[in-house]
Amino acid sequence: MRKSLLIIFFLQPLAIPQSTTFDFYSPQNIKLFANYLFCEEDYLRAIEQYELLENQFVNDTIKFKIMLGYSDLKLYQQSNDLIKSLNHESKLYPDAYLVSMKNELLISHKRLHYIALSSFNLSQQAGFNKLSAISLLYGNEQSIKKSDFVSVFNSAQQNTASFLYDYKFNPPYRSPAWAGIFSAIIPGSGKMYVGEWGDGITGLLLTGLFAVLAYDNFRADHNTRAWIFTGIGAFFYAGNIYGSVATAQIYNAKFNFDFQNGLNLFLEQENYFLPEYDFCN
Amino acid sequence: MQSKHLIFFVLLLLTTSVFCQIDDLKWKKAYLSYEVPDQFRNRDYSFESDNAAEFLEKSFVNAYWFFISDVDGDNCPFDPSCSSFFIYATEETNVFQATLMFSDRLTRDSNPIKKNKYPWDKNGHYYDPAYNYTLNQERIDYLPPTFIVEDE
Repeated sequence: MRKSLLIIFFLQPLAIPQSTTFDFYSPQNIKLFANYLFCEEDYLRAIEQYELLENQFVNDTIKFKIMLGYSDLKLYQQSNDLIKSLNHESKLYPDAYLVSMKNELLISHKRLHYIALSSFNLSQQAGFNKLSAISLLYGNEQSIKKSDFVSVFNSAQQNTASFLYDYKFNPPYRSPAWAGIFSAIIPGSGKMYVGEWGDGITGLLLTGLFAVLAYDNFRADHNTRAWIFTGIGAFFYAGNIYGSVATAQIYNAKFNFDFQNGLNLFLEQENYFLPEYDFCN
Repeated sequence: MQSKHLIFFVLLLLTTSVFCQIDDLKWKKAYLSYEVPDQFRNRDYSFESDNAAEFLEKSFVNAYWFFISDVDGDNCPFDPSCSSFFIYATEETNVFQATLMFSDRLTRDSNPIKKNKYPWDKNGHYYDPAYNYTLNQERIDYLPPTFIVEDE
């Protein structure tokens, strides 16, 4: 018993110096830990650690990594604020410029008016051209011909780019006015024109049923009943015309929703035409 | 048995009885209900209206709720139900336009094939709000049929 107490007592002084000499919070160790977190894609904590570093330890690579991290966290404005602090002569400046373009596109959802940098290499220039071209699809101005638009993309992307261009500038919308007119002529046909066949047939059957009932009762001199059926028939007839117009508008809204989803999916798949950065190997 | 051991066992037993009391709280019978909250009964039965037509409409709807719907139960496949849709449509537009919207809703309700056309609400109804049918393109908030609406 006494022996073991003595051993524990003498071991303590050996352990204490080890813990005191290792500085976990030195700039080098913070940077190492931040790099580890960045490679684990834990950008929020990585940025937290990078921001603990004093100015003399922060270089353009770290600033660019913070920019990428913010962008990945969808904090686009915070990401864009960092480009001002980056050295224009830096090797990473053209890449940061492209990231800021992506951020701007996602903030404003408008056509971008960025100017190409002379320091762009071939892949950066291609990414810049593609991002500029795709930003056209966020505006309403058809300022580039389809062939010119598509030629910016590589052969694997051209098919999707062509579809997106067509859907943006020649969308297969349904005219609410025509839907209303069709339903006024044949009840339910406006909804069928929009693609709502079930609703269209139901409208036709309901209006037709009450019209037949009204006609039959008028013929049989049951005027009260006939007028009641006329009223109900007119109620469904008018509602059907109104509904056809509303359904055409909803169809167009659905189309816009699908277009936006398709565009976002394409951009995410292509990583917004940004080059791949490998800071971990 | 020595007195030392006796005290030890008394203390041990006392501890057990104390824990049993706590466990009694833990294992107490719970009164759980798996019923879906009855949202459709939280209705506004007031007659507050801006004009005679709206008053007439509220009277019709209130009478329908009181004499038929509340007795019949939650049977409308839509959320809001057709009668509530009529009230919301009046709030969004006017009585005349709301009547047309209501007529269209009844037609759509009569269509037996509604699946994959509307998003769901959390109670399993088809979510079909009135603001999508006001003919104001800006007011349309399209949601895909796969979507489940949590907060209305």
